[in-house]
Amino acid sequence: MSATRQGGNAGAMGETHVRDFGANVTATPIATVRFWIITMMLVLFGLSTLKLR
Amino acid sequence: MLLELAQYFAKDVRAFHVFGYITLRAVLACLTALAISFIAGPLVIRKLTAYKIGQSVRDDGPKSHLTKAGTPTMGGALILVSVGITSLLWGDLSNRFLWAVLLVTLGFGAIGWVDDYRKVVEHNPKGLSARKKFLWQSVIGLVAAVYLAFAVSSPSGAKILDLFTAWVGSGLSMTLPAKADLILPFFKHIAYPLGVWGFIVLSYFVIVGTSNAVNLTDGLDGLAIMPAVMIAGALGIFAYVAGNTVYSKYLLLPYIPGAGELTVFCGALAGAGLGFLWFNAYPAEVFMGDVGALAIGAALGTVAVIVRQEIVLLIMGGVFVAETLSVMVQVLYFKWSGGKRIFRMAPLHHHYELSGWKESQVVVRFWIITMMLVLFGLSTLKLR
Repeated sequence: MSATRQGGNAGAMGETHVRDFGANVTATPIATVRFWIITMMLVLFGLSTLKLR
Repeated sequence: MLLELAQYFAKDVRAFHVFGYITLRAVLACLTALAISFIAGPLVIRKLTAYKIGQSVRDDGPKSHLTKAGTPTMGGALILVSVGITSLLWGDLSNRFLWAVLLVTLGFGAIGWVDDYRKVVEHNPKGLSARKKFLWQSVIGLVAAVYLAFAVSSPSGAKILDLFTAWVGSGLSMTLPAKADLILPFFKHIAYPLGVWGFIVLSYFVIVGTSNAVNLTDGLDGLAIMPAVMIAGALGIFAYVAGNTVYSKYLLLPYIPGAGELTVFCGALAGAGLGFLWFNAYPAEVFMGDVGALAIGAALGTVAVIVRQEIVLLIMGGVFVAETLSVMVQVLYFKWSGGKRIFRMAPLHHHYELSGWKESQVVVRFWIITMMLVLFGLSTLKLR
C-alpha cells in the first residue's frame, strides 16, 4: 500500500531504504550493510554473465 | 557433485561443459552459499532463541555491550553448513585440497562448537579449557601441516604417500621441491627453502594462529566476518592462479596442481560469510561464536598454506594481526609494568570504542583498512 493511500506524503519517504528500513524497525547500519550485500550479489550475478552466455 | 552430474550430461548436451570452469563454479558457489544462508538464517536464529543459546557478555568490557547479552550465538554453524553443502555441490570431489580444507574447517568448527556448547548451554563459564582447546587445535593443525607438506609437493593425490615414504626412508632428511618454498612477496627470485620440518612448523603456526586471530577479532557486530569474506575472495584469486599452468608461469608463482579447486571453496566461504553478515550486521541478530570464528580462521590459514601465500595472508589479515598483537602487548606490558596498560582495553577494537568511536564506525573503518590491505596483497600478484 502506498504512503499516499494511507494519507502520508509519498515523496518524503520515497526511497526504499527510508520507507522500508530506516524509518521502520530496522536500525540504519543494518539497512546499509544489507543494501551493500544485495549490491555485491548483483555484481557477482553480473560477472557470471561473462561466462554464462 | 553437480560437476560430476554436469560432466555426465555434457556427453549429450555440450552446454553442460560450462560447469567445468572453476571461475563459474566459484561464482555459483558464492551465490548458492548466500541463498542457503538467507533461507536457513531465520530458522537457525529462531531455533537458537528457542533453545536460549544466548551470548554472555564480559562484565569488564565496554558498558555499551551489556545490551548484547542474550543475543543468540553459535550462528557460525550456519556458515559451516552453508560452506559444507555448497563445496560438496559445486566442488570437484576428487580434489585432495578441497577435502583437506573442508576437514580442517569442520575440525576447528567442532572445537569451537564444544567450547560454545559448554559455555552457553551447560552454563560452564570456562567452556573448553584453554589448554584442551589449544591441544585439539594443535592436533588438527599438525596433522594438516604434515599432510599438506607432501600434498603441495606432489603432482597428484596418488603420489602423496610415495613422497611421504621417501621422506621416512631418507631418515627424515629429504627436502621438498621449490614450489613448497616460502615465497617473499614483491621479490621475483627470492624464496626461502623450508624443508619438510620448516614447512610443517610454518603451516602449523599459520593455521592455528589465523584461527585464534579471527576468534580474537570477533568482538563487534560484523567485525570478523567481512574481512574474512574479503580475504577469502582474494585467496580464491591466488588459488586460481596457483592452479593454472599458464597464469602461474606468467606471474612467476609456483604451479600447484589441483589448487584451483580452492577457488570454489573460497567462493562458498565468501558467500556464506556475506549471508551470515546479513544477520550479524549491527545491531546483530546472531553471533558466530567460536564455532564460526575458529573454523573460518583455520580455513583461511589452510588455503594460504596450499597456495603458498602465507606472508600475503599476514598482510591481508592485518586487522586480525593487529588485534592479536594488541592483546599480546597489553598482557605482556601489564605484567612487566605491574598493572599499567598501553591500550584502554584489548583487543584493539575495544580501545577505539573507549576512545569515543561508535561500534559501527570501528567496524566499517576496520573493513576499509582490510579492503586496502587486500588490494595491497593482490598487487603482489604482479608487483614482483
